[in-house]
Amino acid sequence: MARTAHTSLWQRWAQDDQLRMILIFVPPAILVFTVFVMMPMLQAGFFAPWKWSGYGPAPWAMNETTQTTFGRWVGDRNFERMLGHSAFRQAVWNSGLVIAVSLLVQLPLALALALMIYRTSRANTVFRLIFFLPYILAEVATGLIFAFALDGNYGLSAWLSQLVGLEEAWFPLAERPWAYYSILAVLVWKYFGFHMMIYIAGLQSINSELLESAEIDGATSWQKAWYIKIPLIWPAITVSIFYSVLGALQVFDLVMPMTAGGPSNSSHTLVSYLYNFGFIRLDVGFGSAVGVFLFVTGVVFALAYRNTVQRGQ
Amino acid sequence: MSRMFTWADAARIIVLLAVSFLILMPIAAAVLGGFKTNGELRVSPFGLPEVWHLQFYGEILGGRRFWVYLGNSFFISIMTVGLTLVLGSMCAFAFAQTRFFGSRFLFGYLLLGLMFPVAAAIMPLFLTVRDLGLLDTAWGVILPQVAFGLAFSIMFFRTFFKEMPSELFDAARVDGCSYIRFYFTFTLPLSTPILATIAVFVFVQSWNNYLLPLIMLNDREGYTWTLGAMDFRGEYAAEWNRTLAFVSATLAPAVVFFLAAQKYIVSGLTGGAVKG
Amino acid sequence: MAEVRMTNINKSFGAVEVIPDLSLTIPDGSFSVLVGPSGCGKSTLLRMIAGLEDVSAGEIHIAGEDVTGAKPSDRGIAMVFQSYALYPHMSVRQNIGFGLKLAKTPKDEINRRVGEAAEILQLGPLLDRKPRQLSGGQRQRVAIGRSIVRKPKVFLFDEPLSNLDAALRTQMRVELAELHAKLNATMIYVTHDQVEAMTMADQIVIMKDGIIQQVGRPMELYNAPQNPFVAGFIGSPRMNLIEGRIAEARKSKILGIRPEHIDVSPDAGEWEGRLRYVEHLGSDTVAYVDSEAAGRITVRLPGEVAISTGDAVFLTPRANNIHLFRADGTVERA
Repeated sequence: MARTAHTSLWQRWAQDDQLRMILIFVPPAILVFTVFVMMPMLQAGFFAPWKWSGYGPAPWAMNETTQTTFGRWVGDRNFERMLGHSAFRQAVWNSGLVIAVSLLVQLPLALALALMIYRTSRANTVFRLIFFLPYILAEVATGLIFAFALDGNYGLSAWLSQLVGLEEAWFPLAERPWAYYSILAVLVWKYFGFHMMIYIAGLQSINSELLESAEIDGATSWQKAWYIKIPLIWPAITVSIFYSVLGALQVFDLVMPMTAGGPSNSSHTLVSYLYNFGFIRLDVGFGSAVGVFLFVTGVVFALAYRNTVQRGQ
Repeated sequence: MSRMFTWADAARIIVLLAVSFLILMPIAAAVLGGFKTNGELRVSPFGLPEVWHLQFYGEILGGRRFWVYLGNSFFISIMTVGLTLVLGSMCAFAFAQTRFFGSRFLFGYLLLGLMFPVAAAIMPLFLTVRDLGLLDTAWGVILPQVAFGLAFSIMFFRTFFKEMPSELFDAARVDGCSYIRFYFTFTLPLSTPILATIAVFVFVQSWNNYLLPLIMLNDREGYTWTLGAMDFRGEYAAEWNRTLAFVSATLAPAVVFFLAAQKYIVSGLTGGAVKG
Repeated sequence: MAEVRMTNINKSFGAVEVIPDLSLTIPDGSFSVLVGPSGCGKSTLLRMIAGLEDVSAGEIHIAGEDVTGAKPSDRGIAMVFQSYALYPHMSVRQNIGFGLKLAKTPKDEINRRVGEAAEILQLGPLLDRKPRQLSGGQRQRVAIGRSIVRKPKVFLFDEPLSNLDAALRTQMRVELAELHAKLNATMIYVTHDQVEAMTMADQIVIMKDGIIQQVGRPMELYNAPQNPFVAGFIGSPRMNLIEGRIAEARKSKILGIRPEHIDVSPDAGEWEGRLRYVEHLGSDTVAYVDSEAAGRITVRLPGEVAISTGDAVFLTPRANNIHLFRADGTVERA
């Protein structure tokens, strides 16, 4: 019995080239994805109720020499601590601000500029390239450049301070709430071009006869934008909202060169909070608890969004 | 209907020029700042340098560290791109061409990766990489980057492969071509646009990545340029001109790359984004 | 009076001159069809009348008023596009009423006029659907409804039937003709299909390379084409255009004879030839004959004729249906 099964498997391997392809092509990707994405995600859930420095194979494993587990079970205390921590609440608020600024400032700006330059012309191509340039720059490089520009001894703020005649130069990055507002402004600077390109793609795919028809119907440029163009690129807009919310949850690289979370933890985002209070202090359980919060927020948003705003697309 | 130059046109051009100025000014200030002495930088942060001091750029470009950082970043980015393309396109090919037991489930499983914020699992990921002995190696950055890029690339590849005419595959099957052979002789060569687009995006993301290298790399010899730039900033805290020179020196490859690859960047945004 | 008059129109895209110099009058209340091969400038001309395309030089008058620089919405025109250009996110009702809404027409006035248009086109039950829920023919009617509701002086149609299948196209031809009779408005219709032109038009304008080749009633164009291009364009199967000895014998450059104006006999006739191929259509029989004297000739015989490939035949053109095109551009008909 076993023997026939064995040979038939071999036969199938030899004869069925589709099966062979699947067995060679699929597992590597699944393996890498599982080991480096899914497993860590799951582990974060398991580690969250422990106090653990990361030493040893797992917090619940027994240490032969001390006869105790490597970590200490703390239940929901990591979450309690996190939710009670003012810096965490500030980070949640800050991440929320990123979303608000994206939706209220960045996306409308991107849409307005897209409407201005979506048509094909040489000048528009140049503007498009310029507006998209910040998206290509590394966050770290962007952050350093703006850390310079907003340094009270040097860049823009020094110049402004002199202009207004301040006795002492203004250091926006060292002053709350301006430190975080500066980060928000730089986020808009860096990412509006990305959303603008999404809208341009949508606008370019509109059938030109629709716009001509609207023109014959007597629509002005504003009316064409409001009644025809924006409704027609609504799918692209929902995609860009999705990206900007999920992106807002992950802001980190810009924070480090600009403020590193300061002053007095006022400019942390969720990720920089996780890095500072979880990773730097090697508090695996606490870091995992923050990670779980981040994960749940992201997934709940993604599922809710897909099932409401993006339904039927 | 001969159109006149209207006030609306004028307003539009003023807005566009103003936005362009806001974008280009900080970048220009950084590049020019590298040519100024620190003293001049304090007095005139945005103007042209009085004297073009080449020594700050010279020291950076002439030193070894800068090139080590760039080399590390380049190796990590290239390997990330290569692995993402190979693993992603093979897997997507299987999903696009065949339906096998559990294929829908597996595809959904991979798509879950689209919703996860990378940073959420950063602590267990660090431990995983440590336990695999990959800390302080390029692979400790490469493999997680590949894993997090797979969901996106597989989704894009699968859409592209599905849009290829199925008659082509039928014709090849009739001629006796196997699946694996079809992948190498037809699918890959016909997919250069999407391969290039994904490659460009993965490359840019990897090149600019800061969080993963920060977590995984401790040894300066293994630093990527983003870590190097932050390090440099810490070292010359009082000398902005040196930091600006360092940052500007790293901008050059990014801008050149961007101009060379802009066609694929744009098509990536237009192709995938709108279809969602 | 909604006559459309174009005087010395010129249209260039950069260095490319699409329409060199064109003057044309579309009479009030006529159904005029602009027809020609693709790239002949007919759509450009229509779009210039609509105001969607600038006029490089010349003037356009609609109903006696100079509209050369006017906005499309101020010209008293309506247009039906090839793709119908229905707004996909609006219901049929909103699509039809959109122009009125932009013109700040009161709500009940909009409703009344949308209702009227819907009644004319039998769109009543479809008013609350979205365009994607409609069939091709229904979309076509909505597009027409959208133009009716504006009460324009001139209707413009840009190949409106080319996206429909053959059966529906025939049906819509009839509906459009009826609509024209009902509304009694000026209609300008662009197509590349000479059958549409012949069946619907009061006046046909044939264009080629931006130049008007001939203007006239359908049967005028059929019976008295002014040049070989018009002769070949109107009528199906195409007119036989014969060059060489036979034409020279009658002191002309090209001799034209329609396939239906040639008699076939098995034993005697002007040109001897051999049947290469026969198409039996039931109502007609189309035969392709290779002859020594005249080259390949198409012949159309009424009804079913018992001939087959390979037969030797004799062809005789009916003398009073021969068109002679001379080298100096003049035409002679027997």
